Amino acid sequence: MSTAERDQATLPMGLRERVMTASLLARGAGRALPEVPDIAADEAFARAADAFYGMLGALSEDGWKTQALRGLDVQGLVGHLTGVEEDTHRALAGDPAVADAEHVESTQDQAVRQAGRSPALTRDEWHHAAEVTLELARAAGRDRAAGGAGEHRAARLAVHGMRLPLGDLLVVRAFELWVHDNDIRRAVGLRPSVPDPPVLRLMSDLAARMLPYAAARMGLHPMDVHLVLTGPGGGTWDVAIGRGAGGDPGQTGVTIVTDAVSFCRLAANRLTPAELGPHITGDEARAADVLAAATALALD
Amino acid sequence: MEGSDALLAARLAAGDDHALAEVFDQLAPSVFGGALRVLGNGSTAQDVVQDVFVELWSHPDRYDPMAGSLRTYLIVLARHRAVDLLRSELRRVARQERHYRLTPAEPPGAPGDEVMAAETASVVRAAVQLLPDGQRRVVELAYFEGLTCREVANAMGIPEGTAKSRLRLAMAKLETVLDRQLLEST
Repeated sequence: MSTAERDQATLPMGLRERVMTASLLARGAGRALPEVPDIAADEAFARAADAFYGMLGALSEDGWKTQALRGLDVQGLVGHLTGVEEDTHRALAGDPAVADAEHVESTQDQAVRQAGRSPALTRDEWHHAAEVTLELARAAGRDRAAGGAGEHRAARLAVHGMRLPLGDLLVVRAFELWVHDNDIRRAVGLRPSVPDPPVLRLMSDLAARMLPYAAARMGLHPMDVHLVLTGPGGGTWDVAIGRGAGGDPGQTGVTIVTDAVSFCRLAANRLTPAELGPHITGDEARAADVLAAATALALD
Repeated sequence: MEGSDALLAARLAAGDDHALAEVFDQLAPSVFGGALRVLGNGSTAQDVVQDVFVELWSHPDRYDPMAGSLRTYLIVLARHRAVDLLRSELRRVARQERHYRLTPAEPPGAPGDEVMAAETASVVRAAVQLLPDGQRRVVELAYFEGLTCREVANAMGIPEGTAKSRLRLAMAKLETVLDRQLLEST
C-alpha cells in the first residue's frame, strides 16, 4: 500500500461544500486564468482589422491571385469583405434592405469587381471600408450611450439575417476577419494566426452565447451544455439549449471541453467536430449534435 | 487519474468549477489524510484541505503536469501547509513558555481555550524532549528562546549550517512524533 493510499481518510461531513464555497469566493467560476483584459467590441474589431491589414501587406503579387475560397482568389475574397463592411454601414444607418440579404450573394459584386484591379487598390478600399465601420459603430455607440433609454441602447442591428446588438455585431465582424485571414494564409502557405486573447475571449463568448440559436435551427432537443474552452481567451459557459433547459444546471446534459481557438474554428465551419477531438462527458451523441450545430454559425 | 491531469489543469484554468469538484472528490481524502497525519488534529487538517483547494483553484498555473501528478502536487502542498501550521504552533507554544517563565503564577482565566492550549503545549514540549540532545537544544534555542540560526550556532559553538540541518532533522522528527502523540491525546 502506498503512502497516499495509507493516508486516505474519510472526509468530515460538510467539508466538500465548505471547500467549494471558499474556492468560488476566492475566484468565480467561468473566467479563465491568466486573466485577459476586458476590451470593448470596437477595440476587438480594430485589432482584427489591423491584423488583417498587416497580413495583406505581406502578400506577394502572386499571392493575391491565389485561389482562396468559394472560387474567389485572395483579391476577390478581400472584395467580399469590402462588400460586407458596406452592408454593415447600411445596417448602422438603419437600411432595412440589408437585414435579410444573403451574406455571400449580397457581396458577390464587390468580390467579382476586383478582377484586374491592382491589389493595393483592393486593399486600400477594404481598409477604408473597415475604418468607416469603426467610425460609424463608435458614433452609434456614443448615440446609444447618450440616449440613455434601455430600449434605444439595446436596439439590435439587422444585417445578413442576423439581429444583433452593436457590440455583438462588431465581434462578428472581428470573427469574420480572423476567419478569412486564415483562409488567405492557408491559400498562400502562411502559418495560421490566432487572435490575441482579449479578442479571442469575446469571440469565444459570442460563439458560446449563439449556440442556443444554432441548436434551435437544427431542432435539437433541450439540454444543458457545460462548455469549457481552454487556453488563453477561453472560459467556461453553462449554455441552456432548447425549451425547458437550464432549470437545474448539471442534472442532465453534456460537458464539452476543447480549446478556445479550435472551438472558434469549428464555429466558423473551418474545422469538423471529428477534427476538433473534444473531451466529452455525458451523452456523446447529443454532444456531437451540439458541435454539428455550432458549425452552422458560420457566415462564410 | 494521472493521464488526465493536464486536461484537469487546463479545465481549472478555464474556470471550470465541475473540474474542481472532480478533483476534490478524487483527491480530497488523500489530502485530508496527509494533513491529518502531520497535524493529528481533524479540525486543523480540514483548514489545510480548504487552503490547498483554494490555492489550486486560485492559481491553477502553479501546478505543472510535466513535473508530476496532481495527486502528488496536492499532497505535497498539504504537507507544506501542515508543517507551516505546526511550526507556527511551535512558536506559539514557545511564546507561551517564555511568558510563563517571566510572569508570576496567576489563577487560571477562561477555562476552555487555555486548557486546550496547555494540553497542546504539553504535548509539544514532551515531543521536543524526545529529540536527541543536539537537536533538542537547537529547537529550544530557536523556538523557545527565539534565537536566529546564527545565534544558535554561536551559542552552541557549531557551524551555522550544522545548526540549520539539525533544526530540519528535528522538525521532521517532531512532525512524526507529534502526529502520534496528538492523535493519542484527542
